[in-house]
Amino acid sequence: MALLEIIELQAQVEEKQILNGINLSIQPGEVHAIMGPNGSGKSTLSNVLAGNESYEQTGGNVLFDGADLSELDAHERARAGLFLAFQYPVEIAGISNMYFLKAAVNAIREHRGEKQLDAMEFLDVIEDKKKLVKIREDLLERAVNSGFSGGEKKRNEIFQMAMLEPKMAILDETDSGLDIDALRIVADGVNALRSPERGFLVITHYQRLLEYIVPDFVHVLVNGRIVKSGGKELALELEEHGYEAFEGAAV
Amino acid sequence: MDINTRREEAAAAFAAKGLPTVKEEAWRFTNVSRLNEETFDAVWQAAEVSFDPLSDLVVVFENGKWSVEASSLDGLPEGVRVRSIMDSADARLGTLADSDSGFVLSNTAQFSDGILIEVDAGVVLEEPIHVVHLADAEGGSFAYRHLIAAAAGANVTVIEEYIGSAGVRYLTNVVTEAFVADGAKVDHYKIQRESAAAYHFQTLESELGGDALFSNHAVTVGGRLGRNDIRGRLLGEESEAICNGLYLLGEDQLFDTHLFMDHAVPKCQSHELYKGILSDQARAVFCGRILVQQDAQETDAIQSNGNLLLSRAAKVNTMPQLEIYADDVKCTHGATIGELDEQALFYLQTRGMDPQQAHGMLTFAFANEVLDEVACSVVKLRIEAMVQAWLAGVNE
Repeated sequence: MALLEIIELQAQVEEKQILNGINLSIQPGEVHAIMGPNGSGKSTLSNVLAGNESYEQTGGNVLFDGADLSELDAHERARAGLFLAFQYPVEIAGISNMYFLKAAVNAIREHRGEKQLDAMEFLDVIEDKKKLVKIREDLLERAVNSGFSGGEKKRNEIFQMAMLEPKMAILDETDSGLDIDALRIVADGVNALRSPERGFLVITHYQRLLEYIVPDFVHVLVNGRIVKSGGKELALELEEHGYEAFEGAAV
Repeated sequence: MDINTRREEAAAAFAAKGLPTVKEEAWRFTNVSRLNEETFDAVWQAAEVSFDPLSDLVVVFENGKWSVEASSLDGLPEGVRVRSIMDSADARLGTLADSDSGFVLSNTAQFSDGILIEVDAGVVLEEPIHVVHLADAEGGSFAYRHLIAAAAGANVTVIEEYIGSAGVRYLTNVVTEAFVADGAKVDHYKIQRESAAAYHFQTLESELGGDALFSNHAVTVGGRLGRNDIRGRLLGEESEAICNGLYLLGEDQLFDTHLFMDHAVPKCQSHELYKGILSDQARAVFCGRILVQQDAQETDAIQSNGNLLLSRAAKVNTMPQLEIYADDVKCTHGATIGELDEQALFYLQTRGMDPQQAHGMLTFAFANEVLDEVACSVVKLRIEAMVQAWLAGVNE
């Protein structure tokens, strides 16, 4: 059974149709990349999958681990093992990263029927995971994403992913705003989390990220539809020729 | 002028003027006329209200009077004097709180007790002084007069806490004057958890010398009708005033904060962060005025007031006011009234928190931001617990 099965997905935001029938099947262990120009529907897709209520699914189906995603609210999707790394992680003043993570980890553990981590156990897990994305100690004490640099925010997203251990992770333009060093650190973190059970959907505008997170499949998204799918070499083709050829084809 | 003459004059002025009315600009949104129709009497009796001391140095006032039995000042170091204001004719009394507000006049005329804290030059008192005010006398009128004087380079932390017995109706009217000399540091906290039927008014006046620091954190959850007038004068260069506050209001509570910061000299900073959370039909008034005088070049003043409304019937009037006569200054102000951020709620939900948890966490975060600058850890823990308890009450 596919981990994530997207069938003829249509969606709109503010009454504007953005996704026009997307089909995509991701098996456990696979890394899929979706590439597309601005306005192609990349962010809409990630928001619809994560359950953002500002986006409305108007047609089609999405099955996650066999369950109909449209039946689940955002927090239920997260508890079921779906994770979205935000393109623009939200700053939350007044709550430390640590406190926030503990609440998130325990909400998900409770759902899985696992016992809540006490303060010491939680610190052990933190120690273990923070090496993955080389996150600085002081960022854990600071308010969630508040005053973080672009790179620190993205690292924090991957750190959260490591802490929450999802079955399926969607990375929404995680490369945007990153310099090459930050990109490498984030990619290393993601690669360390690749496993035969876990699926990834990497959404990006540029091929650069895919040099570091090498996908099994690449899909081209134009005007809310996947117009071409292929192996990792498709990313290079796009890099060379741009999206223009596909944009014509999609009309 | 000696204190007795001052008190007599204040009594005469109050008799002529009375309490402020809504015709006065500063009281436009806060109608205190009901106080004229209700009766309050000074009733000095012991109070049966429990409290948790936040320090080994505790002064307890019960229904208007210092309780020697309940207070403890053991271990007060040399160079620090703490005594009743009634035992001392301190010449500084009333020199800061010189406004003609009816509440100040009435306090000057009628105060029945108060604390005088003097810290000698260069003396650093690590232990905070916890000044507790307990009230449980129905119809009581409690007028307290406090004075804090930190001499050059001195350092002291004072916590004023007001606790009332649930449902008891009374009036607390406090005036606190703080003198912060050159290089001195005074951290002042006010925790107001009066009874829900009580009235509470305080004027807090501070005066800072050069390179001095005065911080005030005012947290309000109690009282049916209340107001804090917090006024600071920066009279020496390179001094800094921090006035932060949090008000958590429900039912038909009305709470008013009036801040006034007077930058008279160059190179001073003032930071004011106020936040409010309102449910039910609660109302809040915030007026923050910053005056930068012509000489006060290189002033750095920041003020913000944020309000979170949990109900449609709750209401806030917020009025930031900058009055700037110097040309080389950095001043910002801002006010917001709103609901929780949708994108932040979504973010928390994608991390597994259900909508109620996400709401609770963001509401707590909103309030908690005010506590960032609370240096005194026991105070921080106390306030955090108060915020959590208040939020739990709202969600019931």
